[in-house]
Amino acid sequence: MVQSLDTGTAPRSWNKRGQDKARRLAAVAPWLSGKVLPSSRIVEALEVLVHSGDRVALEGNNQKQADFLSRSLAEVDARKIHDLHLLISSISRREHLTLFEKGIARKVDFAFAGPQSLRVAQLLEDRKLEIGAIYTYVELYARMFVDLTPNIALVCAEKADAQGNLYTGPNTEDTPTIVEATAFRQGIVIAQVNELTDELPRVDIPGSWIDLVVVADRPFAIEPLFTRDPRIINELQILMGMMVIRGIYERHGVTSLNHGIGFDTAAIELLLPTYGASLGLKGKICRNWTLNPHPTLIPAIESGWVESVHCFGSEVGMEDYIRARPDVFFTGHDGSLRSNRVLCQLAGQYGVDLFIGSTLQMDPDGNSSTVTMGRLAGFGGAPNMGHDPKGRRHSTPAWLSLITADSEVVRGRKLVVQLAETYQKGGEPVIVESLDAVQVGKNANMPVAPVMIYGDDVSHVVTEEGIAYLFKADGIEERRAAIAAVAGATPVGLKANPRKTEDLRQRGIVAYPEDMGVRRGDAKRSLLAARSIEELSAWSGGLYQPPARFRTW
Amino acid sequence: MTAAVTDLDRLLSRKSFIELSARERTKALLDAGTWRELLGPFDRLHSPWLEMQDIVPQEDDGVVVARGLIDGQPAVVAGIESAFQGGSMGEIAGMKIAAALDLARQDHERGIPTRPVLLLETGGVRLQEANLGLAVIAEIHAAIIALRPHVPVVGIIAGLVGCFGGMSLAAALCSHLIVTPQARLGMNGPEVIEQEAGIAELDASDKRLIWSLIGGEQRAAVGLVDQLVEDDADAIAEAVRAAFRAGQPDSYRSQQIPQFLARLVAIDPALVTDGPALRALWGKGEQA
Repeated sequence: MVQSLDTGTAPRSWNKRGQDKARRLAAVAPWLSGKVLPSSRIVEALEVLVHSGDRVALEGNNQKQADFLSRSLAEVDARKIHDLHLLISSISRREHLTLFEKGIARKVDFAFAGPQSLRVAQLLEDRKLEIGAIYTYVELYARMFVDLTPNIALVCAEKADAQGNLYTGPNTEDTPTIVEATAFRQGIVIAQVNELTDELPRVDIPGSWIDLVVVADRPFAIEPLFTRDPRIINELQILMGMMVIRGIYERHGVTSLNHGIGFDTAAIELLLPTYGASLGLKGKICRNWTLNPHPTLIPAIESGWVESVHCFGSEVGMEDYIRARPDVFFTGHDGSLRSNRVLCQLAGQYGVDLFIGSTLQMDPDGNSSTVTMGRLAGFGGAPNMGHDPKGRRHSTPAWLSLITADSEVVRGRKLVVQLAETYQKGGEPVIVESLDAVQVGKNANMPVAPVMIYGDDVSHVVTEEGIAYLFKADGIEERRAAIAAVAGATPVGLKANPRKTEDLRQRGIVAYPEDMGVRRGDAKRSLLAARSIEELSAWSGGLYQPPARFRTW
Repeated sequence: MTAAVTDLDRLLSRKSFIELSARERTKALLDAGTWRELLGPFDRLHSPWLEMQDIVPQEDDGVVVARGLIDGQPAVVAGIESAFQGGSMGEIAGMKIAAALDLARQDHERGIPTRPVLLLETGGVRLQEANLGLAVIAEIHAAIIALRPHVPVVGIIAGLVGCFGGMSLAAALCSHLIVTPQARLGMNGPEVIEQEAGIAELDASDKRLIWSLIGGEQRAAVGLVDQLVEDDADAIAEAVRAAFRAGQPDSYRSQQIPQFLARLVAIDPALVTDGPALRALWGKGEQA
């Protein structure tokens, strides 16, 4: 054993974290029965277990929310517990920001702030909130294993047993990752559960990773974020969907893919069994998916297009349908879905041929962002799914089809497709000279503008005018000309030079519907395999049970 | 297996009636090749009142009147276009319907057995035309009552707007009323009730609740409509033909005053009567 050089001091302890954890847990031990804390003691327990300045990972993604724990944390005495550093993938509940208003928390690292984005901007201006960084989901979780390891994790699950084993149900999502980062570096893991039971349907997280279990006052909150009502899909989106199927999926032989959550990608899903089938593409494209269980995928699954779907999370109402289709979805021995956000993100970055998603703004270079003035929303997972991972080494026909260089050493590319209707409702152009994100970034003193997908990662841009095959463009000027050629009547589109556009069409860098054999007049809603939520339910044989807000019968 | 495949084919081939515009709906009901429009958009009969209120008018004022044949017999179909001003009844829109009904009555008096069909997709009176709209709705009511002794007046509520306000009375006056499960029928729309009586009285965003109270299935279950048909253009057209073949009803709902008063008396206003409770109370399809 190495002697301390500084004689007179005790030998250095190498287990300070473990000792600290043991001290904290000892303070609540008298209240526990096994690992179970009575729900009425949760605020008291948090005041003992959490220390000021701790890094606290609060499970709250865009689907499920550990809302009993977040509401309880908002009730602790701010004189005792303050200046916490929150790690939270999605700031979506009121109390998340109440923590900052009360001074319980000061700093936050997050990935998405959809419904609370205006309040985040306000608290930032009032200096009540400090942002570490706005990430993507996987980056935030990655840093939990590097320099942002949580002291405390507040997570949620459906059921627990007395040993602390957790059953997350279909919404496993982020829980195993947060728990792993915390438990194996001597942090404290507290799980809220909907119910305690003697026998779990399956164990999603072993009890030895969990320190405390508490029964929530009501089942954890969950949002049906991935349900797109087919009634709202319009004919422009159908036209774009037809072009994507013809000009991208068929052309490049895209067999594995991820879809965004817009109505335009929902249209594509609903066109596969009709338009896709008429082109004879069944079995040739769109077989393997990394995707949440979108209800709009039901007709494609039922008509035999889909071999597999791995999910980031689940979707409200899809549980029974998934349970009845175990050949397609990843399910446990109990029959319910096993989702996992980080693994699905990984699969979606490295395993698939293509990502496709829509944007609210795109600049002449193809950079895109959903950040608009006054909103600090973040991007969730889109930037990771929507890029070309240069570390990829395996090849697929689609990946290889993007090689343009003629050299001994070349690599293929993931297809990254951005969909944009040239104008939003209300007459706002989508393709603009400069992204709002640039100004928002300056206003918020961000080191770089919050771009969602960088133009150099985008391989294809699709608008209702046509497709720009950016990967084929030679140099930045040609890329810009190709984007302008499909930018319609936006200020960017009006600058397109007709002769240049004609040249780009000749060389296959730009294609209009007629160039790919798509008839505009065919883009009718009757081409959708389901035109309403009730038809989706009918396709599923009644297994899909849509949430109340989507029912119109 | 074969059954499942047939089901999928049926799902793919089903032609939604709700999806259709008013003009397409009128076409879907008339025998193939017989459709012709009266006072169409090129006759430029639009509301004179909307432009004054900075609203772009529509050249058919949101009502399509079409003639043709149903089951080989002369017919007139008046369809309200819900995509224009929520299917609201303004002076021109309403008068097109009232006049169509009146001309059908004159046909019958001259021995021409014209079959009238109304597509009632409307929030009721057009607020911008206020009294003129209300007056013309009253004319529609009177015209239905004058016509129905000659021939069944068939009404259809398909959805998704539903049928409300003064036009819900027009629906109630029809000899035969057909709805889909997506239809809604009521005097005041849910949003109006929420606005007037508060969200504690009725949460208009709770769709399951709304449809359980005024949805097509519920209205059929308590006998306030005559027929529930799924959202399929062919099935609805067949239901219309069947209604005319069946001929006149024994009595009109609007004449069953004692029976409906007895129904009201059976309700205890101190209790909250929800959709299922009303079904239990009023029974399925109970009609005098």
